[in-house]
Amino acid sequence: MSDDLAQRTHTGQKRKEKTDLTFWGRLSNWGPYHLMMGAVTASPRRQFVVLAIFPLVWVLFQNLGPMLQMLRVSLTDAYPVAPGVEQHFTLENYTRFFGDQIFWQPFFRTLVFSAVFTFCTLIITYPVAYFLARHVSRRNQMLFLLLLLIPFWVGEIVRTYAIMILLGNTGAVNQLLKWLGFIDRPIPFMYTSFSMGVGIVYLTALYMLLPLYSALEKLPKSFNEAAADLGASAWTRFRRVTLPLTLEGISSGCTLVFLISTGFYATPVLLGGPSTTVFAETIAGFFHVAGDEWPTGAAFATIMFAAALILTGTFQKFMNALRKGDTK
Amino acid sequence: MNRGNRILLSCIYWAFVLYVFVPLMLMVVMGFKDSKFIGFPIRSWTLEWYTGVFADTEVLSAFGYSTSIAVLSTIISIVVGTWIAILLEGRKFVGRNTIYALTILPALIPGIISAIAFRIYARWLGIEPGMGAIVWSHAVHNVPFVVLVVMARLSTLPKTQLEAARDLGADPFITFLRITLPYLVPAILGASIFCLLLSFDDFVRSFFLGGYEPTLPVLIFAKLKSGMSPEINAIATVALLLTGAIGIWAERFTRRLNKD
Repeated sequence: MSDDLAQRTHTGQKRKEKTDLTFWGRLSNWGPYHLMMGAVTASPRRQFVVLAIFPLVWVLFQNLGPMLQMLRVSLTDAYPVAPGVEQHFTLENYTRFFGDQIFWQPFFRTLVFSAVFTFCTLIITYPVAYFLARHVSRRNQMLFLLLLLIPFWVGEIVRTYAIMILLGNTGAVNQLLKWLGFIDRPIPFMYTSFSMGVGIVYLTALYMLLPLYSALEKLPKSFNEAAADLGASAWTRFRRVTLPLTLEGISSGCTLVFLISTGFYATPVLLGGPSTTVFAETIAGFFHVAGDEWPTGAAFATIMFAAALILTGTFQKFMNALRKGDTK
Repeated sequence: MNRGNRILLSCIYWAFVLYVFVPLMLMVVMGFKDSKFIGFPIRSWTLEWYTGVFADTEVLSAFGYSTSIAVLSTIISIVVGTWIAILLEGRKFVGRNTIYALTILPALIPGIISAIAFRIYARWLGIEPGMGAIVWSHAVHNVPFVVLVVMARLSTLPKTQLEAARDLGADPFITFLRITLPYLVPAILGASIFCLLLSFDDFVRSFFLGGYEPTLPVLIFAKLKSGMSPEINAIATVALLLTGAIGIWAERFTRRLNKD
């Protein structure tokens, strides 16, 4: 520290003949910069406008823009527009959805699967989060959590492939069961809703674990001790104290996992079969073929997004009501 | 807490650790199998698949392609995300909540829908499928994560430091460069690593916005669709080790910075 200071004063002395100013001082005295900063910071209002204009343009054009454009395309009869063809407004892309079972069946399947997988993720990760927040000393908590985070740095495709190896007919699970003598012939796990579920829970567990962990970690231990002193059993303590006070974590974890689950494309393609086609595959199909199917694809994506938003919105409302009712 | 509970919970935790690690370990091990056929048991072993990865120009170029996309998109995300975070943190103005909600939006849109929307928008903007389109979509998708991380750090910046800088005659820009930015370094580094990994691992956006050149996940996906082989295990393992190592290093590095 003092060395650093000495060095600085030394170089400062050397430079003293030329100027007393540092780089920053010279910058702010430099004509063009001075003029520009003067113009920008003339009033707090103008300063704010300069700061706000770029973020505003960004969120409108990059975040909202794609969604609005998708909505617009979903209401047209041709996109991308070929030369010489006129584009018309139509609702046909939406009516097409209800007209055919091969469209709405994957849609409802996706919603049901996502809800079930979300629930499974919750059931699996809640005890893990509880253990981390309650039974591990504070010093070790980060270490134990980090251990679980490492595999989540690995990408979607690689982890999906790992599940394929685990569950295949000659996969680890089947070989283990055979070796233990439980089965003679391998169980066909792959290309079913089971293999898809294992894969999706594997991919989304972290997004459930972290909100649950932070909710449980915030909850003071004394609440449970007080309940115990009043004679509540372990189960009652969990049901009446811990669970109601972690509803917020459950609510945000479930919302996140549900939204992510509905959006998987590669995992259902690789782990699912013909009987488990999800809506993402249906939507993607419209973009592999000639361009004139794009409006239908856009309409289906819009339906999916609207449904996901309505469902998660309703769910959060319900959870909020539950929380308010419980804390009263 | 009673002891039985504790033991049960710790069993669940370690079972979960196994669930999370075992599939990846099996995948690594399978890359050493001396046979084209994926499956257990493994009778003879070889290093051929792993050495093959480093000789495969297709894999190496996909790897380079993914890396450049990750670096470029991260730079954009960091600049934009930091800017938005500075606007949103600690300021009250009309429309703030709307801007905040719109900022977070890309993180909440399910993958396939976001990919489709980007594809349509890119077409409208006249961006051809390929590297530019992928970089753009990754950058837009990753901004919310940067905003959240930087805002969290920014909220702990002592206001007195900013006031002191202003009293000493620094203009807002110099105050930002000399006070705010150095304070944000740990957050920015952490967010960069997160963005790099998100972009490197992303499949769905790269798949729908890519041209003929595949990114690494797209290449692995294409190979998987034509059949499993230990070659894919070796490629996936190299990708896994790389992302895992960066993740662990970043975690430790940002922890150390945060402590200082």
